[in-house]
Amino acid sequence: MSVTAKEPEKIRIQKNFDQIAWMAMRYSGVLLIPLAFGHMILQDVVVGVHQITTDYAVERMATLGWKLYDIFLLAFAFGHGMNGVRQVFRDYIHNPRSFRIVSSILFVVWLVISVIGAITLLAINPAMGR
Amino acid sequence: MQIKLRVFRFDPEKDQKPRFDTFFMDVDPNDRVLDLLEYVKADFDSSLALRRSCAHGICGSDAMRINGRNYLACKVLVKNLHSDQITVEPLLGLRVIKDLIVDMEPFFENYRSVLPYLINDEALPEDGKERLQTPEERDRFEDTTKCILCAACTTSCPSFWSDERYVGPAAIVNAHRFIFDSRDRAAERRLNILNQQIGVWRCRTAFNCTEACPREIHITTAIAEVKQAILSGKV
Ligand code: SF4
Ligand code: FES
Repeated sequence: MSVTAKEPEKIRIQKNFDQIAWMAMRYSGVLLIPLAFGHMILQDVVVGVHQITTDYAVERMATLGWKLYDIFLLAFAFGHGMNGVRQVFRDYIHNPRSFRIVSSILFVVWLVISVIGAITLLAINPAMGR
Repeated sequence: MQIKLRVFRFDPEKDQKPRFDTFFMDVDPNDRVLDLLEYVKADFDSSLALRRSCAHGICGSDAMRINGRNYLACKVLVKNLHSDQITVEPLLGLRVIKDLIVDMEPFFENYRSVLPYLINDEALPEDGKERLQTPEERDRFEDTTKCILCAACTTSCPSFWSDERYVGPAAIVNAHRFIFDSRDRAAERRLNILNQQIGVWRCRTAFNCTEACPREIHITTAIAEVKQAILSGKV
């Protein structure tokens, strides 16, 4: 008797926040590799720590590309870290309601700091260096 | 060889706190740790409480912490431990009932929560006998059929130590066994059960489970396959 393999089954999965958080952790982790290494190589190797002056920083931050680069670096690194902190809290907070409150606070902190950082970076213009 | 055996003792009905009893004994390097505990029970102190049944690594009843790592006492030889000091403690993360016996109920409750049995309400095949599958289909869950529910994995997991409602590696292994079985029809239900904070997302790939499993099941791989099935919506 011959047996044929069953067709792959399509499954309906209800979305869950922890699934999204887990994915975000992977994606931000992958993105952080080029972002953080790019930053480190540029500042510490190409330019060198002793050459980093206010003028240099202002000049670099005057370009939109670098502004976006740094905003991404800040938002992703901070988000990745905050999600890690959230997981650590989860080990100690077992009540789902309390955990939801703590998660929301962490999210707001992340959002506020990232937005303040983005505004600051966007506000830098070449005139500030002189 | 001469060894020093330290055994965790605690009777919650009598003792204020746990203690360790120490025994010096002459043993064969090929003795199993279970044999040492049997010597203690026979020659020193018959009140020592432990679970064991088959003594051949198949029933899963004697998982315990030996020199800080989870093993089946009947499967680990004295010489495997590379030490003349052996400390035996109950599994971590579960309540001690007496000495080396822990309350396995939270573990089994998590196990039951993933529906660890074949679900298929379709009519039987024409010959009224077996539901057939190809060798490749069988291979997909071969590894996870080997579980003996000893709890060595789940009680080695830091996520489980912090919260025993986390289903734990053993439950995910047993869900995997049916999710990827072509004859089963409840993968969707199981994946939705596992797609929760206390489901697969509590796993942070610490790999303790894989190291602890006496059946050498690739547990972390199985968990990753379940995560993948949830994310892709395909089994
Ligand atoms: S997966 Fe391995 S360690 Fe975990 S319960 Fe099954 S046999 Fe024991
Ligand atoms: S006594 Fe059965 S597995 Fe060790």
